[in-house]
Order: sequence, then C-alpha cells, then structure tokens
Amino acid sequence: MVGSVGCSVLAHEFLNVDYVQAPHGRAPALMTAIKLLEPGLVVFSVQGDGDAGGIGIGELLGAAGRGMPVTVFMYNNMVFGMTGGQMSPTTPQGMRTTTTPRGRGAGVEGPPTDVCGILASIEGPAYLRRVIIAPKPVMRNGKVIYSFRPVIDSYRAILSALRTQLMGGFSFVEFIGTCNVNWKMTVDEAKFYAHEVAAKAHPPGLCRDRLGVDA
Amino acid sequence: MTAELLRGAEAIGLAALMSGVEAYFGYPITPSSEIMEFMAAEQGDPRFPRYRVFLQASSEVEAVNMLMGAGAAGHLAMTATSGPGLSLMAEGVSYSVGTEIPFLIVDVNRGGPGLGNVEPEQSDFLFVTRSLGHGGSRAIVLAPQGVGEAMEHVNRGFRLAFEYRIPVVVLTDAIVVHMRETVEVPDLGEVKSDVGWAVRGRAGGARHLLNSMYLEPHDMRIHKERLSAKWREIESRVKDFECIACDGADTVLVAYGVAARKAEGAARKLRERGRKVGVFRPITLSPFPWGELEAAAEGRRVIVVEMSEGQLHEEVAARLGPLVESIAAAGGEIVEPEEAIARWTPAAYRRYIPGSPRRTVPGVSTASSSS
Repeated sequence: MVGSVGCSVLAHEFLNVDYVQAPHGRAPALMTAIKLLEPGLVVFSVQGDGDAGGIGIGELLGAAGRGMPVTVFMYNNMVFGMTGGQMSPTTPQGMRTTTTPRGRGAGVEGPPTDVCGILASIEGPAYLRRVIIAPKPVMRNGKVIYSFRPVIDSYRAILSALRTQLMGGFSFVEFIGTCNVNWKMTVDEAKFYAHEVAAKAHPPGLCRDRLGVDA
Repeated sequence: MTAELLRGAEAIGLAALMSGVEAYFGYPITPSSEIMEFMAAEQGDPRFPRYRVFLQASSEVEAVNMLMGAGAAGHLAMTATSGPGLSLMAEGVSYSVGTEIPFLIVDVNRGGPGLGNVEPEQSDFLFVTRSLGHGGSRAIVLAPQGVGEAMEHVNRGFRLAFEYRIPVVVLTDAIVVHMRETVEVPDLGEVKSDVGWAVRGRAGGARHLLNSMYLEPHDMRIHKERLSAKWREIESRVKDFECIACDGADTVLVAYGVAARKAEGAARKLRERGRKVGVFRPITLSPFPWGELEAAAEGRRVIVVEMSEGQLHEEVAARLGPLVESIAAAGGEIVEPEEAIARWTPAAYRRYIPGSPRRTVPGVSTASSSS
C-alpha cells in the first residue's frame, strides 16, 4: 500500500501490509514505479479527495492515463479532514467549511470537481466506480435503522478494482463517505447528508468496466 | 580500462548502466535532456539486462515520486534535471530523506533564478547543499569536474545512496554534460546492496513500513536523532577533497566542479610565473570538508573561484572570516581567475589566521571575469 497525506495517512494502522508513505497527492507516481519494478505485487493507494482530486490530480491522471495496473481507493468525505475541515475540491455547493464560511459558491471557489468524471474522460483507466461507503439510514416505525447494501456494494467495488489490476488494468474507486465532526453534524445527520444530498449531485454508479469484472 | 571519447551525457548514462541502474524516470529540461535521451535509447541493450524501466513523467514532481517508489522497493533508479526541475523535486527529496529512501539525481546546473538561461552556472550550490527540501532535509552532494569523474560519481552516488538509504545528488553543469572528453572508462562494478528493508510485499515475513510521519514529539525526536546520527557518520566517512600543489603555497584557490578546472589551470600558469598558488577542491559538497579546508587555508591567502554570484564564497567567508576573497562569474560566463589574480599585487594579500576576529566590515575584494 502507498499512503497519502490526510486522515488516510493512518490507513496503515488498520491494514497489515507493506507500506510506504507518499508526499501529498503523489501516491500514484510511487505506485507506478513500484508496479513497473515489482510487477508481481498488488499495489494500491488509500487517498482522500483533497489528496487525489486536488493537489494530486496530476499524478492521478498520469497513472490513469498510462493505464498502469494499480488501484486508487479515494475516500471522498468532501473536506480536508485532518487539517480541520477546510474546503476540498469535492466540497458540495453550499456546504459551509472553515474556508467557505458562507457556503461553497458564495466566493470564487467554483463548483465541486467530479474526480470519477475526469478519469472517465481519458482512455487509460479500465475500471471506474463510485460507491457510498456509509450505511444508509432509513426511518422505520419512527426509528432509524441502517441499510448495509451500500457497504456491500463498496466491498464488491474493492474486489472488482483489485481483479482489474490483476488483469492488467488501472482501477479507481471513489467512496463517498462522511466527516461528521467537520461537517458539524451528528453521525446520523452526516449519513443522511451523504446519501440524500452529496450522492444526489454525483450519484454512485459504474463509470467504466472495460474488462467486465464488476461484481 | 579503455580510453574513449565520450560526451558527458552519455558517460553519465553509461556509468549508471554499468552500476546496474534498473529504472530511469525523467522530465525533459535543458541542459539535462541528453542524459534522458541516451537512457531512452538504451532500453533493451542486452549488455545491461538489469535496466528495464524507462518512463517520461508528466512533471518533475511525478518523476521524483517515481524515484521514491522505485527506491522504496529497493531498486536503483535515477533522473537528470536542472534547477527549475530540482525545485519541484525538493518535496520528494525531503520525504525520501525522512523515509530513508535511496535514489540518484543528476542536477545539470543552469542559469537562475527563475527560468534564467540554459548556460552553465554553479548557482544551485546553496539550495542543493544546505537543505534540499523542508524540515532539515539533507542529501549527499557530489561535484565532478569532468566527464571521467562524473562517471565515477554516478557509481559512488548509487553506492552511497544504498549504503546510507539517502538521496544523492551529482551536481554538475552544462559544460560537463555537453563536452566531449577522452576518458579512461573506469571499471565500475554493479551496485549490489542488502535491501531487506524494502517494500516488496510480505511473502510471509514481517511487514515493512517506510514512514516519515511521527505525530508524537517524543517519537519524532527519536527519528530525527537517528537521522542526525546517520548524517554524522556520513560526515565522518564520506567527505572527499583534493589539495593540488598546496605544499609551499601562499595562496589557495577554493573551487569545485568546472570552476576548479579553471582554477587549476590558472594556478599552474601562475606557478610558472613564480607565484605559489595551490587549489583546494571539495569533491563532496555535502558533507563539505570544512575541517580540511580550514587546515589548507591556514596562514594563506584564500580566494574562492566559482560560477555563481558568490555562493561558495559566502559559505567560505562565514567559516574563515571576511578576508576571504572572491572571483566569481555568473549568468553563463566562464570564470577566468588567472588574469584577476595576476593583476592583484602581493601587497594586497590577505592571509587567513585561525581564531582571528571575524570583521563585519565589507573587506572582500571582488573581481569578475568581465571586469
């Protein structure tokens, strides 16, 4: 695994794999070299939306454009979480962050970036999918219960992405997630927001599956 | 050893291949591109089966991070660039110093700051040698003065990079890389080192973590102390220099790289006229042989000869005091120390005396090649 900068830098605490920590946004460049020199390895990164979609969009496009058989997992919580909740490239219109205190769109920041959509505009990638990793809160009999279907979809996307890599293609999965602390919401409110607001602007779905592996 | 007429760029590439380089990642920039083009053409050369990856990156940022990936997996990788590219690579160098990842960068110094020009200069000196990257990042810097030595430095650079797990910069310039010289091609051995630390998949063993982040001050301090101890060992074992005709000299010229060749030529001609002039040439610029320079300078007039606006002079004067003189040419002009020194009369000699008060008055005489 190649790490990134942001909350995702801590991913190695949870995954028992070999790990190298890349500079902010640069993981796809490291992965490119590792894969070319050690083609037998499964190589993947865990990056955030600021890391992969902002400062590192160049390195992401580089690896994707060349069709490198590596996998990028982008956890999209729509803010810079580790630095305290600033605007990220994917912050939705209207969302208040510490650097968009009147809501995104009130200043010169422009609309959010669709990272999966950008990757879909180039030939290189073999597998592109957006999922929501947060369980979906559902009201039933006046109580909140959770549907885990989106989480199962996320597992399937991970498997499909790694299968794509094993078959020689570049794969990318965007996980729409939450950051309730920086969104100033409760856990349930954040899950509602991810499903009912964020995912409405950029709905989950399979953008590309050139090798026909999607599960 | 065989004598061959080689251009600097191909000699550097050939030395890398002889050393067993496995990957080249680069981004074109004048005056370094000939090295990249040579490495592109060498793909598939059956003499060098270890060399198997060549990739033109989409920026120097991407290139240096590919070096970092290759080094993390324990493979020999290199790039060549010039000042503007090296500025972008500084981030990757700092991360690689922090995570202790080895690779080799050949910096072909051009005119700066900014876009500058593509003529030879030595103006990357302070940037490369003092702190290449943020947070106290220091790389080993070697400074060849010609084509043959550049080959030797590429090999030594790979050895040092892997021995100490640190990025190494071969600091050269447009003259060395573009000129043709007859060189005795050294018998460079393949660099083989223990890379048991590398990130190559677990294969049943304990996992390997290459990390530069330590959020707890205590952990960070321990990490930095370890890096500092490593640097002290590098300082004690890697420093290299030569002192030419220093015995009996009353004047020592201090110069590195191509400027040292000009200084040596000037010193030789001045000696023919009866002047007692030697040359102190640092071969490693980081770590810099400061103690050796102080010993060589003792009781002698010291003149720094360089092709920047006076960066090496600034460093030497900070160590030896304000009596150190400067002959500098920048902008792509070649420094011509001989005339300037011949013009100066012995009465104007200023000698370095250890422990003498370091005056802050502007007492430095400067002559440029164009004056």
